Amino acid sequence: MLFDSSFKEIFSAQIVSLIAGLFAGTLLAIYTDKLLLLPGILLLLPGFLELRGNISGSFASRLSSGLFLKVIHPNKLNTKIIHSNLFASFFLAIVICLVLGVITFLFDYFFMGIVMVKIILLPLIAGVIANGIEITLTLFSTVYFFKKGHDPNNIMGPLITSTGDITSIISLFIALAII
Amino acid sequence: MKSIKKLQELSKVRRERHHPLIHHIHKRYNISRKTLFYVKEYGSKSNATKVIIKESIKILLFASIISSFGGLALEQIKSIFLSFTPLIILMPVLNDMIGNYGTIISARFSTLLHEKKMKNVWNNEEIKKLFLQTIIISLLTLIISISAAFLISFLSGYELTKIVALKISLIGLITVISLIIIIFVIAIIAGLYFYKKKEDPNNFLIPITTSIADLGNMLVLALLVILFF
Repeated sequence: MLFDSSFKEIFSAQIVSLIAGLFAGTLLAIYTDKLLLLPGILLLLPGFLELRGNISGSFASRLSSGLFLKVIHPNKLNTKIIHSNLFASFFLAIVICLVLGVITFLFDYFFMGIVMVKIILLPLIAGVIANGIEITLTLFSTVYFFKKGHDPNNIMGPLITSTGDITSIISLFIALAII
Repeated sequence: MKSIKKLQELSKVRRERHHPLIHHIHKRYNISRKTLFYVKEYGSKSNATKVIIKESIKILLFASIISSFGGLALEQIKSIFLSFTPLIILMPVLNDMIGNYGTIISARFSTLLHEKKMKNVWNNEEIKKLFLQTIIISLLTLIISISAAFLISFLSGYELTKIVALKISLIGLITVISLIIIIFVIAIIAGLYFYKKKEDPNNFLIPITTSIADLGNMLVLALLVILFF
């Protein structure tokens, strides 16, 4: 049957993702003059938006594995394995943000003849803010859903991509204001 | 308690090879494949930080570079692109939507392979059903997202003409349908290849299809904007 339970599940998840995407897109459209007019920003934006899903998605999966294996206890989060995961996720996010900034800087320099060091700082500062929020949210939501008896991975995927878009765009605006 | 024992057994499996235990635990105890993947990858490792950074950095760098290439295409047509507010609103929506389809198609096709339901793959009822479901859902979500983008643009004072609305709708439609077909073909070819090599297709198909979705989305979008405007 075409309209079975998996049809409903995919459709519901897509609607949640669509609402978050529309919110992020609306923010971009409203503040086009502030953000999108920066030279090379469209090189940076897709990778930056994708990063939250890639980093926090894997982080949630590793936490879920630890919880299922009982290596991580849901009521005891101040442990070495959690610290290692937090540090690794944050470190990866910062490195990738730096790479995205450098790629954009090089594009601006070689193709547009513009020297704009701020374009490296923009994803870096925004990355610190967005990942600070998203990684913390991932940690507590994963543990919460596990405590409630769910496999967090079935819920965390759509949750991370949806909240990730919004926190990423807002963080970019905050970083822009700071710079 | 049985599931814990199975998970501990899985954490001792060599990480390079797919193990049938993953599929068994997934079906029997309803634990997601992603969780089981990481049980196998990190279960018994002690230096988690080093392992995570070492194993993730390459794929993350690859994904970022691929995304930047896609962004490069849009950067070339920036002035035209930014003059159409509905297109700006639709960009993250289309990006998320096509990326999600990449994940769904890959995960579902991998499951079908593990369940050995893949006889006559190009004329298979399960594949046809998955394709039709994906197309119907994508059309429904596309109609909702385009309508919402037009409404938001209108409310923000953007003057939307009938011809521009039609062109933007066509751009959305062609982008989504063409990329779903491309993702399907790649997922089938690559999935069969990795399955024959006794690897778990899940571990390869999702990064491949999502990267193609990201890059393809930007390239097709840029190409269509040039063609239509």
